Amino acid sequence: MKEVLVIGSGIAGMACAVRCAEQGAHVTLVSPYPSERSQSVMAAGGINAVTEQCEDGDSVASHIEDTLKGGCWIGGKDAVTGLCSSAKDTLAYLESIGTVFSLDQEGRPLRRAFGGQSHKRTYFCGSSTGKQIVSALVMEVRRHEAAGSIERRLRMHFHSALIESGECYGALLYDEQARGLVPVYASAVVMAVGGQNALFSKTTGSVLCDGYAAGRLFLQGALLKNLEFIQFHPTTLETDQKRILITEAVRGEGGRLFYEDDGQRVYFMEDKYGPKGNLMTRDVVSREIYATGKNVFLDISFLSDRLISQRLQEVRDLCRKYRGIDVSKQPIPVAPSVHFFMGGLAVHLNHETNIERLYAVGECASMYHGANRLGGNSLLAALYGGRVAADDLCAREDAPRHPDFARTRAREQRLLDAASESKSVFPVAYMRDMLADTMRAHMGIARTEESLTQGLVDVEYYQSVAGQINYDTSVSAYENYSLAGILATAHASLSCALAQRESRGSHWRSDAPQTLDDYAYATLVSYNDGAYNVWLDKEREYES
Amino acid sequence: MKVRILRQESPTSEQYWESFEYDGPQDASVAGMLDHLNYSDDIVNDAGQKTRRIAWECSCLQGACGACAMVINGMPALACDTFLKDLEGNEVVLRPLTKFPVIRDLAVDRTSIHHNLKRCDVYIGAYQPLGNQSFSHQYDAAKCLKCGLCLEICPNYTNGNSFFGAVFANDCYLVYARNRQKSRDIKKVYAHHFGNTCSKSLTCMDVCPMDIPTIASMAKLNR
Repeated sequence: MKEVLVIGSGIAGMACAVRCAEQGAHVTLVSPYPSERSQSVMAAGGINAVTEQCEDGDSVASHIEDTLKGGCWIGGKDAVTGLCSSAKDTLAYLESIGTVFSLDQEGRPLRRAFGGQSHKRTYFCGSSTGKQIVSALVMEVRRHEAAGSIERRLRMHFHSALIESGECYGALLYDEQARGLVPVYASAVVMAVGGQNALFSKTTGSVLCDGYAAGRLFLQGALLKNLEFIQFHPTTLETDQKRILITEAVRGEGGRLFYEDDGQRVYFMEDKYGPKGNLMTRDVVSREIYATGKNVFLDISFLSDRLISQRLQEVRDLCRKYRGIDVSKQPIPVAPSVHFFMGGLAVHLNHETNIERLYAVGECASMYHGANRLGGNSLLAALYGGRVAADDLCAREDAPRHPDFARTRAREQRLLDAASESKSVFPVAYMRDMLADTMRAHMGIARTEESLTQGLVDVEYYQSVAGQINYDTSVSAYENYSLAGILATAHASLSCALAQRESRGSHWRSDAPQTLDDYAYATLVSYNDGAYNVWLDKEREYES
Repeated sequence: MKVRILRQESPTSEQYWESFEYDGPQDASVAGMLDHLNYSDDIVNDAGQKTRRIAWECSCLQGACGACAMVINGMPALACDTFLKDLEGNEVVLRPLTKFPVIRDLAVDRTSIHHNLKRCDVYIGAYQPLGNQSFSHQYDAAKCLKCGLCLEICPNYTNGNSFFGAVFANDCYLVYARNRQKSRDIKKVYAHHFGNTCSKSLTCMDVCPMDIPTIASMAKLNR
């Protein structure tokens, strides 16, 4: 029987695990916490698909075109065609496992408009689509757990992959209960660990998604891709600890952006882009808000109470609870914030990385979204990618017998043990806060060569001292050992942004504002003995 | 503001109380307060002694994941969803949920919730929806965070060995509504592990962060 190790139990990880189990594999599904804690539950807006009940004039070809255009033409056409062509089946699959979509009075699924789309094609479950899908998938995983084909292991953290000669044989995991490293061998390893939020600290996402795994695998030889493309969601609400997402569905339902000038409202997006201006792609809206230099608000007070209750209740609740704002009467103060990472582990069409039998799915993989992701495409990509990886790894021949990694494990355990003898009270969180300050200052919406270079100087300094400082061991071992990988991901991201002397999608260089044909390719970055090498994927090896 | 926290270094060590002086923002959530205590400076207790950082779980920090469930001034609640300005008195008292084994300080092991759902085969399987079921209630029931607050407040729930609480009832309802072939069996399981024992205090609904009307699940399954 094929043994599969899936690391991460959000939507992409669960979709992959279930698909593998359906094909007779035995899956070990590993995560520190249960799926209910994953960032997937926060996906609010919906999932894109063109079905038989589509809007007049819509087609799969339009969905493909919108996705490629939204991604500024560097997403792979074959990859995006696969994603969009199967969207109808993906939606049908979700319904078949019991996802409850919002329906109209005749019982037909409702659709809403999302930014950058030529037609209304976003299906949704109120404003907690991600949570509803997670609930349905958890039931499916439970079914396979009962049958013995999926084994969930909680309180386990990824430490490193077991790689020899470019082939992956499993992973070392940190077991919180045993307080030690355990090797798990598998025919294939699937990374489904989410994006790189910790690079910026305060984002719209989960604090558990930190970019460590991508960085650690990068240091082990995996290629990363498109790291300069970081989506700033235009409408987020400031709170003490994080930025809370105000879903794009608010603008899809008619919400209007404005700022005030001499007491007059200026609907700047509509003024510049016409009636659909509020629903331009996220990169465009974020840049326009940034360019106003003013406090920007999102108004839905004119929408009916019934519509808000039925479709945007969670938004109403969040605004009231965290800022005391009544959206029926007051506009919502919004500002752009880091929301999604289009970059991540470079994967081929089958979602395999450059390391044989090491796959990546969901936000930790760079695929489909190019330079800017369309709303409603992330849930779709998580589900589709998980299933593509599963089908590929299940169809391939069994892996050769794994080499002996006992010495690797012992070496890594010794390093952890040595670090745990520290009596220091200096927390690794301070170093992460400094990194976040650097990334916010130098890797924000507007970037320049000078600023990015300074960012690299800062991160190189953190890297130079990070290994020499003893950290407070009263926090979890994972929090301490993950720092080096997080810093590596940050270094690689700044390197990509510095190398791309043009502006495209979410990567806006104010010192190089033009979009140049010479750069119309994905960016790849590799690590070799301290060197971060960046080049363009002109052969389209990683996303055709 | 004084903060008292019931602490425990490891699953097998003794619990003890430790107090802190909080001088951070007064409009913070309890989660914000914990971050402030942990990382504003070296962490010291109110006697000025250096101490361990306070362990607690978090993920979304906006009331959508259930990680930070704990007992706040005697009430089970989410730390990110509870604000200092809404608490009475000048003292904040935090303790871990009492019905789960403590991992460290305010972090508890809630594996039993998932274990009980798994061992009773609470899954949908083939989707064959029962007619006339409210989509609105299915939607609500599927929002369960598995945070354990409903179990903490429940007068009938002790350790999850036989009575499994509201979290179990709502998942049972989803199976009942979505697979008519399993509806009869799931009602039996529900009755055995919930319906026959529940004394209907309904406190579970008072503390549910997602406002799930568990009584509606019960009404369907008790029929």
